[in-house]
Amino acid sequence: MSLLQPASLLPFFEWLEAHPLSVAIRESVWFYAVDQSLHLVFLAVFAGAVLVVDLRLLGRGMRQQPVAHVARDAQSWLIWSFVGLLITGIPQGMSTAMKVYYSPFFWFKMEVMLVALIFTFTLRRRVTLADEARVGPFWGKLVGLVSIALWTAVAIPARLIGLLS
Amino acid sequence: MSLLPWFEWVNEFPSSIAIRESVNGYPALLTLHVVSMCLFAGLVIMMDLRLLGVGNLRTPFSQVQKRLFPGQMLGLVVSSVSGLVLVYGQPVRFYGNIFFWTKAMMMVLAAVNALAFHLTTYHSVAAWDSDAVMPSGAKLAAAFSLALWAGVVICGRLIAYNWFNPI
Repeated sequence: MSLLQPASLLPFFEWLEAHPLSVAIRESVWFYAVDQSLHLVFLAVFAGAVLVVDLRLLGRGMRQQPVAHVARDAQSWLIWSFVGLLITGIPQGMSTAMKVYYSPFFWFKMEVMLVALIFTFTLRRRVTLADEARVGPFWGKLVGLVSIALWTAVAIPARLIGLLS
Repeated sequence: MSLLPWFEWVNEFPSSIAIRESVNGYPALLTLHVVSMCLFAGLVIMMDLRLLGVGNLRTPFSQVQKRLFPGQMLGLVVSSVSGLVLVYGQPVRFYGNIFFWTKAMMMVLAAVNALAFHLTTYHSVAAWDSDAVMPSGAKLAAAFSLALWAGVVICGRLIAYNWFNPI
């Protein structure tokens, strides 16, 4: 799982580490803890919003409803919880910039997250909002599985950034 | 009647020591705990949003509850087992941690809340199942559930911060 940090970004991460905001966060007894806690709460909401749709795609969950209904209902929760994850994630990354820069788990998470975001807001979005009869069960299940796999592959290294470095 | 002697006793078990001295064991357990938490808490939140009448409104509540239950239970089992193994590996540490006990109590309260709801308001579900505006008993149960599980997640995270002297 080792992915090298881009050398070109080193100055940026050094700048982040030294930034007054980063210093303030590191010196605060409570900020980082509260921020991480909120990050986890947003994560739970995000996971729910992703999973209700993916479970439905897999033919489980709320299967008496059309996929599009489940997806439309979950959409704003998906988007806003992700915004929450960003807002609480950036201060963590900033204040520990050099630690995350040298963490292969950080880079793996970011790269998979980019793929997951693109997948979620293009292919998955099209499949979930489309007419089920046109998509067919196979593609629906594949999209559901890929979505779960991708986001799990974001969550696992994310947890390991803090534990193994 | 103090539980401490029991926790101290388990603390010396070779298997307990092995868990906390394992380089990869602890990170693996914690990661499993967090991922299964996402499954459990995520689905509980989606259900509570429907019960509150603010989310997933296209689906009747009883359907949301029934259909998400298996996933919630799988998440609960894996989180609980991984959580128990985590505590088993460091009993004395968790015993002395106020956030651990607060978390445990919030989980008990969340269970009581769920049971109370099922024994009372849920009986009339046929009357309000498809409604967007939910009865007050439903909204109360949902609000408590959301607050308690958010509290569990937050306390879980704060265990790692040794802000208070051990109990």
